[in-house]
Amino acid sequence: MSSTRRQFLSAALVGLTPKTDRSIAGGFIDDGHQIGHQLRDRAPFAPVKQVMRIPIVIVGGGIAGLSAAWRLDKRGFRDFVLLEMEERAGGNARWGENEISPFPWAAHYVPVPGKKAELVRELFEDLGVLRAGVWEERYLCFSPQERLYVHGRWQEGIEPLTEATTGDREEFARFAARANEFRSTGQFTIPMELGAKPSTLDNLSMDDWLKQEHFTSRYLHWYVNYACRDDYGALARDTSAWAGIHYFASREPDEKGPLTWPEGNGWIARRLLEKLARYVRTGNMVHRIAPEGRKLRVSAGETDYIADGVIFAAPSFLAPYVCEGAPPVRFVYSPWLTANLTLDRLPAERGFETAWDNVIYDSPALGYVVATHQSLRTHIDRSVWTFYWSLAEGSPADNRRLLLEKDWSHWKEAILGDLERAHPDIRQCVSRIDVLRLGHAMARPVVGFLGSDQRRRLADNSGRLIFANSDLSGFSIFEEAQYRGVKAAERALGRC
Amino acid sequence: MTIVLFVSVALIAACGLIYELVAGTLASYLLGDSVFQFSTVIGSYLFAMGVGSYLSRFVTRGLVARFISIELMVGLVGGFSSAALFLAFAYTQGFRLILYAIVVAIGILVGLEIPLLMRILKNRLEFRELVAHVLTFDYLGALAASLLFPILLVPKLGMVRSALLFGIINAGVALWSTYLFRDQLGARGLLRITCACVLVMLGAGMAGAEWISQAADANLYADEVIFARDTRYQRIVLTKWKDDVRLFLSSHLQFSSRDEYRYHEALVHPGLAALPGARRVLVLGGGDGLAVREILKYPDVGSVTLVDLDPEMTKLFSTHPYLATLNAHSLTNARVHVINADAFAWLQQNTDFFDFVVVDFPDPTNYSLGKLYTTAFYRLLGKHLSAQGLAVVQSTSPLFARQSYWCIVETLKQAGLKTYPYHLYVPSFGEWGFVLAAMSPYEPPVRLPGGLRYLAAPDVPPLFQFPADMLPVDAEPNRLNDQVLVRYYEHDWREITH
Ligand SMILES: Cc1cc2nc3c(=O)[nH]c(=O)nc-3n(C[C@H](O)[C@H](O)[C@H](O)COP(=O)(O)OP(=O)(O)OC[C@H]3O[C@@H](n4cnc5c(N)ncnc54)[C@H](O)[C@@H]3O)c2cc1C
Repeated sequence: MSSTRRQFLSAALVGLTPKTDRSIAGGFIDDGHQIGHQLRDRAPFAPVKQVMRIPIVIVGGGIAGLSAAWRLDKRGFRDFVLLEMEERAGGNARWGENEISPFPWAAHYVPVPGKKAELVRELFEDLGVLRAGVWEERYLCFSPQERLYVHGRWQEGIEPLTEATTGDREEFARFAARANEFRSTGQFTIPMELGAKPSTLDNLSMDDWLKQEHFTSRYLHWYVNYACRDDYGALARDTSAWAGIHYFASREPDEKGPLTWPEGNGWIARRLLEKLARYVRTGNMVHRIAPEGRKLRVSAGETDYIADGVIFAAPSFLAPYVCEGAPPVRFVYSPWLTANLTLDRLPAERGFETAWDNVIYDSPALGYVVATHQSLRTHIDRSVWTFYWSLAEGSPADNRRLLLEKDWSHWKEAILGDLERAHPDIRQCVSRIDVLRLGHAMARPVVGFLGSDQRRRLADNSGRLIFANSDLSGFSIFEEAQYRGVKAAERALGRC
Repeated sequence: MTIVLFVSVALIAACGLIYELVAGTLASYLLGDSVFQFSTVIGSYLFAMGVGSYLSRFVTRGLVARFISIELMVGLVGGFSSAALFLAFAYTQGFRLILYAIVVAIGILVGLEIPLLMRILKNRLEFRELVAHVLTFDYLGALAASLLFPILLVPKLGMVRSALLFGIINAGVALWSTYLFRDQLGARGLLRITCACVLVMLGAGMAGAEWISQAADANLYADEVIFARDTRYQRIVLTKWKDDVRLFLSSHLQFSSRDEYRYHEALVHPGLAALPGARRVLVLGGGDGLAVREILKYPDVGSVTLVDLDPEMTKLFSTHPYLATLNAHSLTNARVHVINADAFAWLQQNTDFFDFVVVDFPDPTNYSLGKLYTTAFYRLLGKHLSAQGLAVVQSTSPLFARQSYWCIVETLKQAGLKTYPYHLYVPSFGEWGFVLAAMSPYEPPVRLPGGLRYLAAPDVPPLFQFPADMLPVDAEPNRLNDQVLVRYYEHDWREITH
């Protein structure tokens, strides 16, 4: 009797309590730093069991490596292998999938290429994204593209203009006008190599340039800083003004974009892998590349490859650990953290609708991208959000240490704490958070990067070892990775 | 003096009844099943009043001070009851528990009021007089409240403010009583301050009522709610006023039983009657089965596929006696296949061809629904039309949302379809628009099926003529990556409502 009454009362009280926090599953995603560190520590590797002669070896199956393979194959050249260290290729275009949706782990979009980006257009024609000059509507980012949480509510677009004064708006307009002027110089191109000339803008930071041009609006400063953090993983004060301006002055899209897919650029990697599967060997870390007569010996696992040419599409900073006699590479890399949140319920929404890219003003992170945004369904009640965070504040080395030291709960709390500002009920919606730590996520275009001798020497590629990673451009974006990969393939063909 | 006293009786009686009505109405709005909600709310309320009356015997001293505190408590609990219930519904899982807790609390307090008041007044009047007068004014107050509630309060003030207003009246009576019964009251200062505090709180509630109402009031309807259910996809509400039954989906009117035949005859017959050979028909949206009812008037149509998102919607319209009669049992007809799926995704994976397609989606009020009005969607639709096939698209009002309407026409054109826009007048909607779309040229039908209530064959061609105030205006096509339609639509309707 009394026990049933207690049960009744406690049942009633359970009903009364506010909808409470729930337990959230998840952990770190394998990020390859362990295998990577074997290279750094020069750990002993398995003895060689077989030697293979093959004209070309591609090292690294990110977009650069896959693009090299795409070009070789398209040219009818079949005698090559692509060696990828991870169990799955894709690199920074890797992706995942769960019962709700495929989702990206890093790169998630490609701006609609302008008429001059011929290689990217060619690839997209091959993949059915561009047909007879028309972009496939389902692959263009659906409306609404972006929103920003600022002053306690969501607004459309990420330029923080809700409470901007006329002074702020004038600065945004003047900034856009300056970007147009730079665009018309023809120096800010994609691929960057085609237009870039030595420039004094490379001698100062983006932040200094803004000050020099008398831009004072705090909203504009936030916006430019956000762009640098988002594209380069660096604060405006740590970014070369040339690179900062490149972001705004390089794009001439011929359609409202960007191009995106539920799994982000993973979709492109996937399509490429379907075409190129027979060349790709995953789980094969290249640990040594050494001259062998007039050829190169590439060691991966238990196999050595004797090749005429090697396309090195892995991040360039690894070269000194792998390639005999290579000098140290002193590029700066930005550390990043991404997380995929599984939401089996969506948070309550007020104000402007959920967009593809959702940014919180004044957050140290970059916001989240909604994987189900490109779904054709009208009713979506579960989703996957990819949370982006470039650890830009402080030195890259310190932040890399932080990435390794802090446990998963630390990042889980940091992520939820950040999202909670815009979504008070987020903890009741998330069932899982998986975190990916990227110590050397992308090259950082620091002051002086453009004129850097080393960058130009590596990019020169006159030897048998041809560098192809996007980091040779100083900043890693899809188009640069693809361009470098294709160019490397053409070089290698010329040499065989 | 005495008349003033009896006015207070009427006022507190009105307050008590209003709280009960608020609780009953909210319970039916939020939980549906109004008969059950009202019965149980009234039952527990009356029972609690009985408990209150019984408890009044234990109050022996300081009658007036007790009475005033009780008034203040009723004012607070009752005044905030509606807001509390809305919030409880939105933020806790214990709505029912809170509902009955509030009903019982108010019931007990209200049950205490009248016995105490009678005892306060017993020395001023003869007992016979007292009982007669108090009860008379009690019932008068109740009558006034029961009339005011549906006529004035709910439509004009909304639920949250109505309850607060009566809370203020309770607190006002309390404050007033400190003057009325000052000779029977010891220390009055503290009581008056308390009264003032309660009044300020309720006043503040009144000022802040807007956001609670905004969050919750969207679902209040003018007519009696005969069915309400929150499904996974939407809120289905049926209201009834005399012989007029209306269906609302997430607060948007879908049809009125009095003139839906105009809408559905005009939606189906201009297209389908022009296709004598039509065998296979597809209906996207339209889970009410009313368009299907019209389609089944063609004996040659062998199969009708209805794709509607919400299984509860199609189930309701298959089984509810009134609704199934309204759609002539179309959804349980052997020729009809009901599929519950998201239309765009379904169409994407389906490979069939159809002779006639009815596209009857909710208006493009947001970017999710807007996807169903894009070039991408219409291109896909075109791929499912047989060579001579026709599609008809519900396209909002060419009068109230003129640019939206012509944007839909433009979008269909951009998707490579020939378009034939037309419109009609539906009293409950106003001027309404459709667009016929096809790969091959369209000619209006010469014959319509028998038994129509609105349309006759000669009336069809004039539907395609647009008067000056609905003529085409410039509009961009609506595309997935640039949904201009949602912006046009918002702008068009804002023009009307402001
Ligand atoms: C979080 C994040 C978000 C991004 N978002 C975008 C975006 O939205 N749009 C955009 O354009 N760009 C984005 N980028 C930039 C992205 O880096 C480039 O678009 C592009 O994917 C880089 O390709 P890559 O081939 O040059 O380099 P990576 O992708 O780094 O590829 C290198 C590959 O080499 C492999 N590898 C390394 N060492 C070895 C070894 N020893 N042996 C064999 N294999 C090895 C790696 O496993 C990897 O697969 C983002 C980057 C990050 C980190």
